[in-house]
Amino acid sequence: MTEIVYGVWDGIIYDNRAGRSAADDRPVPPTLAKPPTLANFESFDNGNRIRAFFGDRGFFIFDAGVGLIDALWRQMAEAAEQSCGKCTPCRMGTVLVRDALDALRRGNAARLGLDELETLAEQMTATSMCGLGQTCARPLLAALRHFRDVVEGELKRGPRPEPHGLTYMTAPCIEACPSRINVPRYIDFIRDGKPEHSLGVILQKYPMAATCGRVCVRFCEMACRRKFVDEAVGIKTLKRYVADQQKGAHALTFGRELIAHPLSQDMRVAVVGAGPAGLSCAYHLLLHGYRVDILEAMGEAGGMAAIGIPSYRLPKDVLRSETEIIAELGGRFLFNHALGRDFSIDDLFARGYRAVFLALGCQQGSRLGVAGEDPSLAGYKPGIAFLLDVHDHVAGTRTIELSGDVVVVGGGNVAMDCARSALRMGADTVHVVYRRTREDMPADADEVAAAEAEGIIFHYLANPVRIVAEGGRITGVELIAMRQTAPDGRGRRNVEAAPGTETVLPCTTLIAAIGQQINRDVLKPEDGIALDRWNCIAVDPVDLATSRPGVFAGGDCASGPSTLIHAMANGLKATRSIDDWIRLGYVRFRPRSRMRALLNDNRMLADDAVEVPVKPQYRVHHPELDPNVRTQMFEEVEQTISAEEAYREAKRCMRCYRIYSVITEQPIPEGA
Amino acid sequence: MAAQFLPQTSPGAEVTYFEATINGAPITGRSDETILTCARRYGVYIPTLCELADIDHTPGTCRVCLVEIRTDGSAKTHLVTACTTPMQAGLEIRTRTPEVREKQRLQVELLLADHDQDCATCIRHGRCDLQDVAQFVGLRQNRFVDPARVAMRPIDDSSPALIRNMKRCIRCQRCIAMCRDGQGIDALIQVGYGLDTAVGLRHGLTQKNSACVTCGQCVLVCPTGALGERDETDRALDMMYDPELVTVVQFAPAVRVGFGEEFGLPPGTNVEGQIITALRKLGADIVLDTNFGADLVIMEEGTELLHRLAHRKRPTFSSCCPAWVNFAERHCPDILPLLSTTKSPQQCVGTLAKTYLPEKMGIDPARIRVISIMPCTAKKDEIARRQLIHDGVPEVDVVLTTREFARLLRREGIDLKTLEPSTFDNPYMSEYTGAGAIFGTTGGVMEAAVRTMYYIVNGRELETVELQQLRGFEGVRTATVDLGGAVGEVKVAMCHGLKPTRQIVEAVRAGTADFDFIEIMACPGGCVDGGGSLRSKKQYLPHALKRRETLFGIDQKRALRQSHNNRQVQALYRDFLGAPNSEKAHALLHTWYTDRKIEMDQTVREIWADIRMTGKVY
Repeated sequence: MTEIVYGVWDGIIYDNRAGRSAADDRPVPPTLAKPPTLANFESFDNGNRIRAFFGDRGFFIFDAGVGLIDALWRQMAEAAEQSCGKCTPCRMGTVLVRDALDALRRGNAARLGLDELETLAEQMTATSMCGLGQTCARPLLAALRHFRDVVEGELKRGPRPEPHGLTYMTAPCIEACPSRINVPRYIDFIRDGKPEHSLGVILQKYPMAATCGRVCVRFCEMACRRKFVDEAVGIKTLKRYVADQQKGAHALTFGRELIAHPLSQDMRVAVVGAGPAGLSCAYHLLLHGYRVDILEAMGEAGGMAAIGIPSYRLPKDVLRSETEIIAELGGRFLFNHALGRDFSIDDLFARGYRAVFLALGCQQGSRLGVAGEDPSLAGYKPGIAFLLDVHDHVAGTRTIELSGDVVVVGGGNVAMDCARSALRMGADTVHVVYRRTREDMPADADEVAAAEAEGIIFHYLANPVRIVAEGGRITGVELIAMRQTAPDGRGRRNVEAAPGTETVLPCTTLIAAIGQQINRDVLKPEDGIALDRWNCIAVDPVDLATSRPGVFAGGDCASGPSTLIHAMANGLKATRSIDDWIRLGYVRFRPRSRMRALLNDNRMLADDAVEVPVKPQYRVHHPELDPNVRTQMFEEVEQTISAEEAYREAKRCMRCYRIYSVITEQPIPEGA
Repeated sequence: MAAQFLPQTSPGAEVTYFEATINGAPITGRSDETILTCARRYGVYIPTLCELADIDHTPGTCRVCLVEIRTDGSAKTHLVTACTTPMQAGLEIRTRTPEVREKQRLQVELLLADHDQDCATCIRHGRCDLQDVAQFVGLRQNRFVDPARVAMRPIDDSSPALIRNMKRCIRCQRCIAMCRDGQGIDALIQVGYGLDTAVGLRHGLTQKNSACVTCGQCVLVCPTGALGERDETDRALDMMYDPELVTVVQFAPAVRVGFGEEFGLPPGTNVEGQIITALRKLGADIVLDTNFGADLVIMEEGTELLHRLAHRKRPTFSSCCPAWVNFAERHCPDILPLLSTTKSPQQCVGTLAKTYLPEKMGIDPARIRVISIMPCTAKKDEIARRQLIHDGVPEVDVVLTTREFARLLRREGIDLKTLEPSTFDNPYMSEYTGAGAIFGTTGGVMEAAVRTMYYIVNGRELETVELQQLRGFEGVRTATVDLGGAVGEVKVAMCHGLKPTRQIVEAVRAGTADFDFIEIMACPGGCVDGGGSLRSKKQYLPHALKRRETLFGIDQKRALRQSHNNRQVQALYRDFLGAPNSEKAHALLHTWYTDRKIEMDQTVREIWADIRMTGKVY
């Protein structure tokens, strides 16, 4: 159990210093109750004790020997470094306070006294424009108000040895994003008038910005604090805007010169699968200097982004321009090379690859598990198989006929993609059957709304129980009505079938889009890759290592069907592990990941409401093609916003940056 | 003012009214206003700095307009910026609490901490919003200033027209808003981080080599002396005081109606006569009128236009606005073949002042120096065009903006208000007609051209001289004018401000614009509100319509109202040029344009090198 020696958090003062009690010489705040339970706070890394913690809501000192001035200086130095410089109090305040604290911590005379520092800290907190300025001086303010005796004591005693620690700036949107994209920073750059810098921020994390700007599920927007004012900032829309600027003869160029330290020819890594996880991993490995071959079972790159996302949401040329980045960086695609058919993992090591990244995806559709389900029935299609048909049809490699009534079972994005594609392929009517309510649908709400606008009929609280067929052809599906059960202890409501409510919904095609699994015949026992109980590749969540040394895995094949952004985040994570593993033989500690865990375990990043009125400015929406027109074709439905709209949308970001730091006993090991 | 600055409203939101208080007094607030607009409605003063209501600019960056609020039912008070915070039912607003005053004062002190302290050397001294606000908040100390920080801040003096001095910038972003939203040029961007934050040009270019067209509208909204024209008052004085030189001074149609307020006269007063007197006092040897050049331009451009119409070449764009010419060359060079080749009135007067005038007056042309007084910053850029410099001799030697001219008079101790008006006396190049006078306002060039083209086509004057259908004030106006004779109806368009200009250029490119003649003035309102005109504090183009009215009034009172009736212009053609568009006229009064589009090839590597953030991977 971590003992707080003294500190202030959310305005509550803690003071357990020896020989003093809270009742000592100051009024006890009424809220001074038991100290907060701090989870996972004993050590930062492997026995390296956390001596103090500073954040946006205050600070905790666990070791009375910690130099308070020094720690406050660290916090402010980071703020000054990160200040965008637009508003007066933060731009100048962070610098003045940082310089004064720096002088004081070194035992030199400062230009400002403690009273002036307190005034400046107050000014920054009360009058700054964004979250960074409003929160960065709070620990300083708390220290000067409630523990000035400690500060004064330090000034008398003189400088202390330089402590160890880590400072970390983040925001709710950053923490929500699996790739930890610095969202406020890229929105800032748009506001500043530098869309190419904005794209540069995104490209730090993955190459597929235009793709992500079209199909991302937007965890960032769910975390956006602007929703307390009106609506979340259109983060995805802005990402697409900056990515779409790069077209034509003057687009930003990649190229080998981007690789700061190219490694020797024998530093080769094999990436198996050219989906988002594989592409992202290849991109980062190339930028780290490795030679990368991407072995792909299909004849093109993109994986689920190519076959699983219809072209009305992600045009093929957009995806292609982004997969080409890998080739521009010197990566080599080996198409029609399937693991399990054409090569084994042993083969890869035999060919001299130093490490392998498995990004195999999940392409096998799950069965519904109902009576009469027979994949050989004419009219029966697993969701992914149907999307592959559509892909080939649009690409012109195969002609697929579709007519009559189509029923899609499922409530996720794949189900929406199947339904909307079926309409475009010529279905007379398209029904979506989902066992829970509309609110429970895992699909992106925008996708559901678009499907509704296009005339797709939704059947909520309905579940298939039997497939009706005649002469080897599907003729209908028997549905049963579901009803919601009473909320359980966690407030969740389940569903149960209502007997006697069976009806038959006639159809000619039934698409089962309830989930996918890893393809069974890809991995052989001799590959030595263990699977978990969901038949996904078992990996260490920290470094993505599989059961076989030198083999790492990520994306859907390791996690089960998930999102594009999750897969791309895995690509970067795997690169860091592979780089460590090849160069050092082990994967290093990741200080920033550890910091995130600390914040997350203790809910440090408060989802605090916006307390003052803010002018509502509703978010920009993509210009869209008319629903009546778009059901006839596979052209992209959403269009790029204009520069004017982008500037306006970018101004909506409130920049909820927060700075956190820890002071530790030992140096924190370096790592990605 | 213009539609592009209309505030954005929430979709479908209806305005509601509610009770609130300011400093304890009950007021009625509106759901579509901020605390600042509401306070202003009630006459409650809140100091502001970065905000500029006329262009709907509330970036919230200076943080000076602090007020204390308590929302309905809340026990807590908050400090907020009045310019960005919306009114709310039951809001208690306090504007003058000790804490508010103290924090406003500290804000200004922080603003000064890296600000150039040499106020006395600043062109904006005494008329500076920052000085004003410092006085209002009662600033009496300046504890944080560090000359080293001021020294770090850049000055861009690459342009012949505009100087950007970041040592005086308060980061209000008004110039960026003007360039981006007002003019649609989007050349100015925010650069740097933290203390290095400044206004710069896109892609790190210099002012001179950037997408900037030097229209100078940014200068009109700058609250301090950070933006300004290149000051050439000393060069002008040197010339006027040099006994070896013959100084010829011309001034533009719009200067005479946009200058009086500097000396306490009502806005829009015509001070033509006082300017002539002042110039003579200063030591100008010959005073000419750019209006004469305007009449001449109509003869050349009108003839050129009729010629192009006869050859079915359409549309033709006017070419007298140098910021527009820069815009065409920098942003849409593909339309350059559509620009009239006629030089601007300033350049026509300059050329003739070094050819025709010395011939007539028996002066050695080498002794002549031409100084123009223009409501325009782009005119400074224009005289440096290589097409307009011959064997190292520029057609015009110095351009002074209206602001510099005011500065010059003050330096010489001349108070315009007390001067007796005098008249032009040059028998060769100072007469003008009503058509020349209205060149300074949007639609004026078109109206002048139509008056003369009608005469050329029909051999008689238009019955109604004033073409009311051309006189609106919308950003883009279109009309059909019957020129009669073989030409018949022509379709014309008039554009002022570069945002509407871009729209019409796009339409011409797309083939959806059906026009014969298009008049473009880069500054909203035309030259009467040019980027070189007098600055206003906390206002944008407050006198546009007053000045325009006076110009129309001048036209109305002229005996001669058509350029072709200008007797000095007639004499010029008779004695020197031959006929409009003659070979000699072509050699002296026409020019050409070049593709100067800015296109940058950037690599991801360059961008990454310029990005600063934590968690950066490469």
